[in-house]
Amino acid sequence: MEAAVSSYVQDLAESMSFHLSSESDVWTFQMLSDFTRYPFFSWGPSIPGWVALLDQDARVIIASPGAMNIAAIWNPEFPVGKAIRITDRQGAQYTLAVYPVKRASGGYVVAAVSWSQLLGGLVGVTRIWPILIVIIGLSSFFAIRLLWSKLVTPLQSLVAEIDSMTLGKDVPDQLGEGTIQEIDSVHSALMRYAQAAVERDNLRNSYVKDVVRAQEQERMDMARELHDGPLQDITALLQQIHMVAMDENKTSRLKRAEIIAKSVVRELRSLCDELAPPWMDLGLSEAMTELAERLAQVYDISVFTDIDEAIREVDVENEKILSLLRIVQEAVSNAVRHGEADEVDIQLRREGDLITMEISDNGKGFDAGDINHETLRVEGHRGLASMKERMSLMNGSLKIASEQGKGTVITASFKS
Amino acid sequence: MSVRILLADDHPLTRSGIAEFVKRESTFELVAEAEDGISAWEQIFTLKPDVALLDIRMPGLDGVTVAQKVKNEGINTAIVMLTSYDAQQYVIASLRAGARGFVLKTVSPKELTTAINTVAKGGLYLDPEVASVMGEQDFIPEQLSVREREVLLLAAKGLSSKEVAKQLFISERTVQTHLASIYDKLGSRNKTEALLLALKYGVVTLEELLDD
Repeated sequence: MEAAVSSYVQDLAESMSFHLSSESDVWTFQMLSDFTRYPFFSWGPSIPGWVALLDQDARVIIASPGAMNIAAIWNPEFPVGKAIRITDRQGAQYTLAVYPVKRASGGYVVAAVSWSQLLGGLVGVTRIWPILIVIIGLSSFFAIRLLWSKLVTPLQSLVAEIDSMTLGKDVPDQLGEGTIQEIDSVHSALMRYAQAAVERDNLRNSYVKDVVRAQEQERMDMARELHDGPLQDITALLQQIHMVAMDENKTSRLKRAEIIAKSVVRELRSLCDELAPPWMDLGLSEAMTELAERLAQVYDISVFTDIDEAIREVDVENEKILSLLRIVQEAVSNAVRHGEADEVDIQLRREGDLITMEISDNGKGFDAGDINHETLRVEGHRGLASMKERMSLMNGSLKIASEQGKGTVITASFKS
Repeated sequence: MSVRILLADDHPLTRSGIAEFVKRESTFELVAEAEDGISAWEQIFTLKPDVALLDIRMPGLDGVTVAQKVKNEGINTAIVMLTSYDAQQYVIASLRAGARGFVLKTVSPKELTTAINTVAKGGLYLDPEVASVMGEQDFIPEQLSVREREVLLLAAKGLSSKEVAKQLFISERTVQTHLASIYDKLGSRNKTEALLLALKYGVVTLEELLDD
């Protein structure tokens, strides 16, 4: 580098001095334009060096840009024809070469290259480079460490949490302190989700338990009814038949047997009605009328029906009719047992394919909140729950409106 | 001249029991037995018996539908519903379909004989057990007023109190009052029972009920 710079300034100064020595005595524009053939006099990209033409008294006759501080560094004792390295008062380093102009007027050509301009900021940087590398290295290390502890580790534990979690059984652990807010909110969303799943699962379990319990209860009730009713009667009937074989008084024995048999038939008939009334085959209007009249007799209350003629025009499936009958049975039973009602009104209306049934009673009423059927069932309101379940199975809806002292209105609607 | 009878029931034991009884009666002639609704209808159509004893629940066609077809075809066969079910709505549905008798299968032979003979002569026979209060007396203790009769007939046709009120230009409340009075006079507990009793006592006729 040093050698290249030295030869560059020497060549430059020598060629200019040679050129100027052969010219006429006067500085002309021609001379200036000749100068401009050198790239340093053009407006081109800046170069790290400059040239200057000095007279005998070291005054600058002409110079390329950047050479104006030559006076500051000029020393008449600079050796001629040889590149030297000097340092100015500001500490900037130059390599320069001086060549005399061999003319009557005398003078010198000075060509120089500034080291600071030649190498620019690079020279400075070379000194702090190792420090920079260390700083960059350290900060990268800390950044990665920070990212690792605040982002990757919490994410990993979150993933592990999700992987190992059984939805509906566990809730994830609290996340350790010191993660970013976003992961924290993902985690708490997950916790809420898991919590909801657990609650839902618990609800479903107690729901299923209750359904099973209700089924078992029904079977027990039915078994008891069969045992206490028809079974006893048929046993009695059998005894009467045995007696007939031995007895003289056949007619009276047979008369008794007939009475017993008839009673068995009645009991079995009402058991059948209880399980699935065959008369629902007759259609919604007739089945509802039949049920209302039966309920009125059973509970000794008034049950009024008000059924649109238009109901007859639609064909309602037996399954749906049965559901409506069950709802009415339950509603009337509730009205009498809990509400102490003595009058129930059943209305059936039809608008297009929408059928609406309204059951209202004159009982005490109760505080009816807007609760869903699962909660109702789990809380032991099995009757209300099954009403809602039945309607939701029919894609219909059931509303219960009641207030203390104001009776109860149950509205069920569905599409036929 | 004996009464020609068709018996339709899908239950073999019940059918043979009733058949045995019918055969024993000298005035009855069992012309056909059917084990489903379709065969019952075909035999009624071809044999034109005087009386058909039909079960309500049968495969193919139910008894009420068979009765309806007989009525629509104008066949002169008197239908008696013979059933296990005591629902009063079955009685109404059967009568609407043109049946002239409704008898439970637990009926005694004596009662069945009466039922067959009654409908064969063009009368109406209803099993006393269908409404527990029925059959205790054969006459109405107190006559219904003209308006009460109208209300009962309309209500019997399936109209709601509101619709009855609209048709008779009276208030719904008045309809309720009339109904209460009708129940009281007939000794019934509800509309259906009132109608059945009114039919039994001859207050209204089957023809009036069927006249839509």
